[in-house]
Formats: sequence, C-alpha cells, structure tokens
Amino acid sequence: MNTANDLPMPGELRTELTCCPWGIAAVGGDGNVCAINPAFTRFTGLVTADVLGMGEADFVARLDSSGIERQRVEATGDLRAIHYFREASVHTEHDQRMSGLAEALREPLASIYGFTELLLTQDYDDETRRDLTATLLDQTEVMSNIINEKLDTRKIEPAAPPQTSPR
Amino acid sequence: MKKILIVDDQPNIRKLIHLALRDHFALEEAGDADSALERLMVARPDGLVLDVTMPGSIDGFQLCERIKRDPRLAEIHIVLVTACGQVSDQELGRALGADAYFIKPFSPLALARHLTTALLPATEDAAG
Repeated sequence: MNTANDLPMPGELRTELTCCPWGIAAVGGDGNVCAINPAFTRFTGLVTADVLGMGEADFVARLDSSGIERQRVEATGDLRAIHYFREASVHTEHDQRMSGLAEALREPLASIYGFTELLLTQDYDDETRRDLTATLLDQTEVMSNIINEKLDTRKIEPAAPPQTSPR
Repeated sequence: MKKILIVDDQPNIRKLIHLALRDHFALEEAGDADSALERLMVARPDGLVLDVTMPGSIDGFQLCERIKRDPRLAEIHIVLVTACGQVSDQELGRALGADAYFIKPFSPLALARHLTTALLPATEDAAG
C-alpha cells in the first residue's frame, strides 16, 4: 500500500504531507491515485487499498458523492495532480460549537468591558457606581457558568473561594 | 434631539448603550426585532442600535434588511452591535445595508462617538 511516505518527492515535502491536517491524495503521472495521507483516511474512512490505482475521474466522483469539498492543483514531475480538502462535517461541527461558545461568552464580556470603560471614564454618583459594579460581578458569574457548563468537560471540582488574609 | 432605538434582548446591554448615549440622544428601547419593527413605525428614530441574535420571528439581520428595503425607513442609520463576530457575519451585515458593525465586546464610548459623528451636527461633541 502506498502512503505519503511512498510518494516520489523530496523528503521534506513528504513529511509535510504525512503530518498535514488536510486530507491529501496524489494522482500519479498515469492518471491514477498513487498515494493518500493519514488525514485523508481519517476524514473519509477510505484506506489506501480503496483508492490506490483508481482513475482520477472515478476518484473525484467518489469524493464528490460524499459531499467532500476539495481543491485540485496541478503537480509537476512524477505527479499529475494533488487533491486536498478539509473534512467538512467534522470541522463544521467543531467550528459551529466553538462559534456558539464564543457568541455566548461575548454577551457577558460586552457588559464587563463596557461598564468598566464607563466606570473609568464617566462621573457617576455613588449609587450608580455600586449598581454598575454589582453588574460586573453578576456578569463575571455568568461567564464563569458558561465556562463550567460548556467548556470545561473534565468535571473538575470548583476552586475554593479566595481566602482573605487575617489582619 | 435626535432619536435612537436600542434593540437588544439583553437588559444589561440595553442599559450599557443607554448610559453611553443618554447625554446626546433621545432613547427608546426594544427587547426583540418584532417589537422594534412596531416601534419604528411610530417613533421614526434617526438611528438604530441593533443586536442580531434575538428571540422572535425575525432576527436583527432580517430587521435590517426590511428597514433598508422600505423607502419610509431606509434613511435610518443602523449600527449592528452583535456577538456574531465572524467575517461572514460582518459581510452579511454590510450586504443588508447596515451602516456600521460593532462586535461584542465593544467600546460604548466608540459607539457613542460613531453615532454622534453620523447623526449630530459637527459642533456637538462625542461622548467621552
């Protein structure tokens, strides 16, 4: 079975393909798939035996039928082309989760940032300052809850509250 | 006095924006895009500070599009203030006709400066 290690190319580039997080398949000069990298197998479930020797047109049709958005670049030397892609569903799910988390954190952070800026630059009476400071504390707790519920999945024990030094 | 409608489902954000703008504008508030649309027809504000992700039948992007497509409302200066921080979100906002895009967390003073520059005569100072 051919892997990226078997590709006829400089060792430096071969190592990059093997370690590359993008799925990569190489098409040889004869027009058939000649190698894939580990990320390709990880994302598609296809091993070298599934695609090795497959004509480029059939290979493309198989990827396209799986909904994999790929790019093709012309190669030189012993290779005809390189196909590369990010596995759409895996990354989209992760990206969406991270994006949702970022949006959830931005809301309380907006309050903390904004009220802090106003407290530092505007002259408010004592009652307003106390009210805004209480809002800061409240929004910090909201952020902490989001982190505990959505980000920290290790179920670690909550830290003990900071202890004040006896004076 | 120029009038601005603040639309955000988070009371804290409405309060923050209210504090930043209250010295320069007459302010109204709405907690979702549906009630904002009703208020727009009555209050006819000069500016709109609009969140994107809110409960209701339409979101901030959809409200922005409706306003800019309505000749009676199209002149309203719309500032999207949102936690939707991706480049594609900003591009969508611009494509729908938003005049400015602030990503949370944002500087309320910068928002005030933007709106005073956009809506008030040059002789009036920006907040902060």
